[in-house]
Amino acid sequence: MGFEPKIIAFCCNWCSYAAADLAGTSRIQYPHNVRIIRVMCSGMVHPELVLDALSHGADGVMVIGCHLGECHYQDGNHKALARSDMITELLDDMGYENERYSISWVSSSEPDRLARAFTNMTERIRKMGPVDLQNPAGQ
Amino acid sequence: MAVRAVLEWLNSCSGCEIAILNIGEALIPLVSEHLDIVHAPILMDHKCLGQCGEGSEIEIPEADIGIVSGGVANTEHLEVLLAMREKCRLLIALGTCATHGGIPALMNGQGLGEGIKGVFATSGTDPCSVPDVGVPAALDRVYACDEKVRIDLFLPGCPPNPALIAEVLTAVAQGRDPVQPGKSVCDTCQVLREGKGAVSKVRRFLVNADYNAEEPVQRMRCLLEQGFMCMGPVTAAGCAAAGLPPSCIRVGVPCRGCFGPVRRDGNQMLDMMNALASNGIDFKSVVDRRSLLRFSGAHGLLRQIRTRPVRERG
Repeated sequence: MGFEPKIIAFCCNWCSYAAADLAGTSRIQYPHNVRIIRVMCSGMVHPELVLDALSHGADGVMVIGCHLGECHYQDGNHKALARSDMITELLDDMGYENERYSISWVSSSEPDRLARAFTNMTERIRKMGPVDLQNPAGQ
Repeated sequence: MAVRAVLEWLNSCSGCEIAILNIGEALIPLVSEHLDIVHAPILMDHKCLGQCGEGSEIEIPEADIGIVSGGVANTEHLEVLLAMREKCRLLIALGTCATHGGIPALMNGQGLGEGIKGVFATSGTDPCSVPDVGVPAALDRVYACDEKVRIDLFLPGCPPNPALIAEVLTAVAQGRDPVQPGKSVCDTCQVLREGKGAVSKVRRFLVNADYNAEEPVQRMRCLLEQGFMCMGPVTAAGCAAAGLPPSCIRVGVPCRGCFGPVRRDGNQMLDMMNALASNGIDFKSVVDRRSLLRFSGAHGLLRQIRTRPVRERG
C-alpha cells in the first residue's frame, strides 16, 4: 500500500465548516485523508495546535477560514493570516518542511472550493511523504 | 524530626547552590530544625566518588529530599541523576537548567559537533574534536532532568529565587504543598501600560529604555510598548519577592525569560512570536528568534535547522 497522508483541517464554524457540511449534502467527493476539526474561528488556532498535530503524527495541517473581510468576528482571519506567515517560517526552525502547512479561505457556499483545497493539499503531502524529522522530539 | 536532604549538581554553574546560600539568615533555622543535609558536593565536603575520586561506584546516601541542579549533558550526569532518583523519595529540579535545559541547551540548536567546533576549535585554538578519552561521553544533546527521570517538584529560575527555595524546603519539611507562583512575569509587573498598537516592530535592547531612575518603576512605560523585546508575556513569574516588580524590569531592563515558559510544557519562542504576530507586530523584526529559547531549549524544542534535501522537479 502506498503512503496515505493524515491531514488535520481546522475549519471555522461560520464558513469553511458550513462548506464542508454543504459538500456532504451535495455529495461532493474529497479525499478521506482529511480530518476536520471544527473551531469557532480560524483566528483561534494557536501555532501550538499546528505543531502539536504535526508532532502527534499528522503529515499536514490546514487552517481554513472565511474570506478576508467576511470574518464573523470582524478580524479573526486577519489574525490567522498574520500568524500563518509566522508559522510558515517557524516550521523550518522546528524541523518540519513549511509546505506541510497551508491556509485558505472558503465561504459557506463554496463546497467545490473546499474540496479542491483538500484535494490539492492531499496530493501535495502525498508527494512529500511522511514527516521525517532529522532531530525528532523526545528521542 | 528533621528530613534528610541530599544535593547534587549536574551540568550546572553552581549558581543554584549560591541561591540556596542566598536564603540568608532564614537558612539557619531551616538547616538546624527542618533539614539534615547529608550530601552536597558543592557546599559540603562529601563527594559521590569518595573524597579524592578514588571510588568507582556513585555513592549517594538515602534521603527524603533530593535537589538536583543542572541539565543532563553527559553520561556522568545521567548516572548521578539516576542514582539520585533511586535514593530520594522526593526529587526537586532546581534552576532552569534542570527544569528546561537552560543556557547549556542552546547547544541543541546547532548539534554537538558544530557546538564543539564553534567553541573550542576556533582559529585561535588547536584543532580538536568531541573529547572521548578521560572524560564522560557526551550525550547527543542537552536534556532537562524530567526527560530522563520522574521529577516531583520544579523550581525554575536562573538563578532561582531564594525565597521560593526556602518556601519549598519549609513546605516539604512540614509536609504541606508549597505555594509557587503560576502566573507570567507580565501578571506581576507594575509598569505603566497605555495600550498596544503604536508598536509595529520590536528592537533589541541596545539603547536604554525611556525612564527616570529617580522615579519608581511604576512610572515607567511598559518596555514592550516602548518597542523592546521583553519576554514578560511568555515567562513564568517568581523572580522577585511577592509584591515587587520583576527583577530585571525593576532596573529598566527587558525580561530575558530566565524562569522558562509559564506552562511547564510551553514553548517560549512560539508563544512570543504568536503574541507579536496576533498584535500586528512584524515578527521578522525579531533578531535571531531562536534565541528566545535561550533558557528552554531542552525537551526537543531547540533543534538543528533543517537542511532541505534538494528535490527533483518534474
